[in-house]
Amino acid sequence: MKRIDLPLDRVVDEIGKFYQFDRHHFIVMNAVDLGDSIELQWFFSDYAAPGEVTMFAAKTDASHIIPSITRVVPSAWVAEAELVDLMGINIENAKKGFVLEEDFEGAPLRKKQ
Amino acid sequence: MATYYDIPVGAQHISLLEPLHFKLTTDNEKIVDVEANVGYVHRGIEKACTTKFKFRQVSFVVGRICGLCSVSHTTAYSQLAEKLLNLEIPLRAKYLRILVLELDRIHSHMLCLSHVAENSGFEALFMRTMKDREISMELLEAVCGNRVQYDYSIVGGVARDLRPEVAQMVLKRLKELRPKVDDLIDIFQNNWSLSLKNKGIGAISREDAMRLNAVGPLARAAGVPVDVRNDTEDLLPWKQVGFEMVLENGGDVHARNMVRLKELLVSMKIIENVIQGLPEGPVVAETKALPEGEAVVRLEAPRGELFHYAKGNKTQYLERLKVKAPTFSNIPAFVEMFKGNEYASAPAIIASYDPCLSCTAR
Repeated sequence: MKRIDLPLDRVVDEIGKFYQFDRHHFIVMNAVDLGDSIELQWFFSDYAAPGEVTMFAAKTDASHIIPSITRVVPSAWVAEAELVDLMGINIENAKKGFVLEEDFEGAPLRKKQ
Repeated sequence: MATYYDIPVGAQHISLLEPLHFKLTTDNEKIVDVEANVGYVHRGIEKACTTKFKFRQVSFVVGRICGLCSVSHTTAYSQLAEKLLNLEIPLRAKYLRILVLELDRIHSHMLCLSHVAENSGFEALFMRTMKDREISMELLEAVCGNRVQYDYSIVGGVARDLRPEVAQMVLKRLKELRPKVDDLIDIFQNNWSLSLKNKGIGAISREDAMRLNAVGPLARAAGVPVDVRNDTEDLLPWKQVGFEMVLENGGDVHARNMVRLKELLVSMKIIENVIQGLPEGPVVAETKALPEGEAVVRLEAPRGELFHYAKGNKTQYLERLKVKAPTFSNIPAFVEMFKGNEYASAPAIIASYDPCLSCTAR
């Protein structure tokens, strides 16, 4: 797995430069609670390079508004909506209530709430 | 002026096997917009896997994510744990994992095909496909000990070896299944009534399937060459045992049926090759190491690309486990597939999507 660490404010631009819909397959977006911060991860595979997975990673604070990558990867709205519910993060234009109830309080995948 | 109607389908509906809700907006009978709600069965499995269960127990827990592709989850997770442990498993265990993954694919594809027939109004074909599918269920029971939730892959290998008499039984029963599958291909390909409900229905173009990152039979039916078995020779020797990718170009319900039917033939060929070339040796490798670092595994489940991510911290408990199911990836493409079709076609489109909400919501 190839890992690319970036500051959060550069993620959309860098993914935009990297991603070509007819060459790359967007796998999913993930988040890991590191305790003092949250690591966001975006995974891609390459149709032309079987077996190769590229991960973009950026650290953030739970209170930040995270830029959405849907302007470059339209299908990412599903993964973003799931993380809003489960990780309790704020992603630009992502709706709450996709996998949990809209009025569900808390974030099940966070270590401390 | 057009009058639009919002028609709810699900979460409990005669054409749905899964707790899934759609709001179909129609202009007269034509579907013009779709909203999907998949959040009815979230069980917190990822959380449980990092707080309640030790990493070796997790393969049994992720097996409970889904009744249909349980072995895909246990195998993907076991491979992931083996990466974190830096553990190489015996070749015989790899072959046996392929055997059960392909038996599982046969039963899952036949279940989907039967429901497409049922939702297309062809009840007799539904019953016939389900009857033929029973062979694969019997074989799974013979090989794994269970008809569902096999717990076959474990961290380090597989839970039980294949006895020679069971191997012979598998070959004999597959010989019986092959002509039945040939008959099914003939019916799904040529039956006039079925063609009215399946051909040109719920179509998605190759470009849209790629743009929306579709996976599995849905993508391959639109001509997108995406099958993780083609990409992961390092984890399981797919090409050694005769894997070939099946592609169609129509992108419609009929093309998805054809991909699944032809994949039944590929799966049967792979199983025969596995049994005939099964290496001797142990079926499990032991280690006392603890998982460290982070890793990902992709595996071709019956519905498409299954993805597991884990981070270990050199303790018995994982720091994070992420599971992405193929149905989850296909939601954006699925929503598009409805648009422009008649409302009456929705049941067949839903069945051909082969949704698994157990996997999606976890």
